[in-house]
Formats: sequence, C-alpha cells, structure tokens
Amino acid sequence: MSKEALFKEIFQANSKKIYHLCYGYTGDDDTANDLMQETFMKVWQNLDKFRNQALISTWIYRIAVNTCLSYLRVEKRQPKDELTENIIETKGEEVSEKNEQVASLYKCIAQLEENERIIITMVLDEVPYAEIATISGISEGNLRVKIHRIKQKLTELYNRNERF
Amino acid sequence: MKDFEALKSIWHNQVALPKVSHEDVLKKVSKTRTGLASRLLIEMVGMVLASTMLIYVWVESPFRMWTTHLAMVIFMCCCLYYITAIIRNYRQITHRSLLDRPGEYILYLKKYKHNRFVFNTRKYRIYSIFFTAGFILFFIEIAFLTELWVTITVIVFTFLWIILYYFVLMPIYIKKEEARLEDMIRNLERLEKQFVEEG
Repeated sequence: MSKEALFKEIFQANSKKIYHLCYGYTGDDDTANDLMQETFMKVWQNLDKFRNQALISTWIYRIAVNTCLSYLRVEKRQPKDELTENIIETKGEEVSEKNEQVASLYKCIAQLEENERIIITMVLDEVPYAEIATISGISEGNLRVKIHRIKQKLTELYNRNERF
Repeated sequence: MKDFEALKSIWHNQVALPKVSHEDVLKKVSKTRTGLASRLLIEMVGMVLASTMLIYVWVESPFRMWTTHLAMVIFMCCCLYYITAIIRNYRQITHRSLLDRPGEYILYLKKYKHNRFVFNTRKYRIYSIFFTAGFILFFIEIAFLTELWVTITVIVFTFLWIILYYFVLMPIYIKKEEARLEDMIRNLERLEKQFVEEG
C-alpha cells in the first residue's frame, strides 16, 4: 500500500474522533479544524515510523492531545463559553433541538479542566479505557476513578444548564 | 434530568464534521515544508554570503594591525554561531516529542520555552557584545586610514547604537519575553498538575 493510500485510510478512520477531541477541547469549530489539520500533518510526517504499530489510533490521539495543549499555551487562547454560545446564537433559528443539545454539551465540556475535557471526549467516543490510559499517561486504576468523577461533573453541569 | 448514557447518545447524534480532507492536509504539508525550507535556505545563504564577503575582505585587504584580524575572527565566529543556531532551531521544529505522554510533553514544552528565552535574551546579548567588540576593534585601523571627521562620525554612530540597544531596546525586549514566558510557564504548570497521578 502506498503512503498516500495508507494515510487516506488512517485519516478516514480517525479524523472524526480527532475533530471531536479538538472541538471538545477548544469549543470552537475553526480552531478544532486547524488543530485536526496540524495533528494529521504530524501523522503524515511520522507515518513511516508507525507503519507496524498495532494501535495506530493511540499515537494519533497522543499527537492530538499534545497539539491541543501546546496550541492553547502558545497562542494564549483559552476555551470560552461564549464561543459555544456564539455558535448557538448565530445559527439560532436553523439548528434543530438535537444540535442545540450538542452545543449545550460542548458548552458544558468547555467548563471542565483541560485534562478532563480530553478524557471525556474519548469516553464519549467510546475509546477503550486501556487506550485512554496509554494516551493520557494515567494508570488505568486512577483513570477509572477520574472518569467516574468527570462523568458526574459533566452530567451535573448539563442538567443544571438545561434547567436555565 | 439526563444521565451520562443520555449525554452519550446526544454526542453520537452530532452532525458536526471536520471541514478538512486528507488532500487538504497533504497540500498544507507540502506548502509548510516548502515555506520553512526556503526561509531557512534564505537565512543560510545570507549568512554564507556574509561570511564569504568577510573572508574576501580579510584576505584581499592589507590589514596591518592585530586588532583588525581579531575583529575578523570575532565576526567569523558570530556568523558560525548564527548558522548553528539556525540548524538547531530547525531540528527542534520536527516535534519528535509530540509523541510523548502529555505530562512529559508539558515538561518538554517548559524546557523548550526556557531555552528559547535564554537564546533570545542572554545568548543574544553575548552575541551582540561580541559583534560590537568586533566593530570597535575594526574601527581602530580604520581610524588610522581615514580622515578624523569620518572616524569620529563612525564611532559616535556606533556608540549611539550600542547605547540605544542596551539601555532602551534590550530592556523592553527582555521585559516582554519575561512576561510571556512567565505566563506560559504558569499555564504549563497548571496543566502539569492535572496530569500528575492522584494517589
């Protein structure tokens, strides 16, 4: 398989989840697209080193997480609730109830800490716990406790948000 | 009231899709690589040309004083240092550590920012001191070869530049860099804490 074909296959299998991770982390569609593009540029540059890796998604996620972390630090951008609110406002009338719920969920994710945002988007995308532990560098035992806490926090935030 | 499973189903219902295709990524890769390579090439060619000219002037001009030869050695060292710094920066751009665990990556970022700060301030200051010293040494022989008013004008301008650089421009630059670095380190430390294992 040529490098381009392999890359296309990897991109199609992972881009949606990486985009969700970046969107969950930044709360902004354009920034999420930029970060996803940057992530896959790094994937392309390192593809030869990882041809024989069993779980290619693990290191793609790790590149994405690190790209998100460094991007916000360098650009001094902080995820803001207003961003997601803007999405709701600008698209206001045309969005369906489903989209509003998704936007509201992103708004709640934006209120979590950076590492919590990263972990929960992976949980929501059903990434196995063992893989999340490898990506984030947290032991599986601690990760389970952490995930339990983040789930509770997110559910509370969402329900509180829905009431108002 | 919704439970986490309900939130999960909302998540899976989302229609937001990335606007970037794999072709866009490959286009950007080739554009970035070309842009970066040409920028580095221009800097390298510039420095090589400056060094060649310097060697030519050194060999062809009948300099008699040891101070001028010392000035030439200093200029050459400055050029070499600049070229190695460009190559080192290029190697750092490869982002090998992006594959590290987030906690380790944050540590790398902290170190990288600190190194950049040292390069931009302390090392650049030493570089400038040597360059200025080279000019001073060079002007000694020029003073013997040119008219007095030319020598005085050149010396006055050189010293005015040094004063402006050290007492006005450099402190502003250092202050700005320090504030930026402190901000970055603070943010990185906050992140680092989040990735520390909770006992």
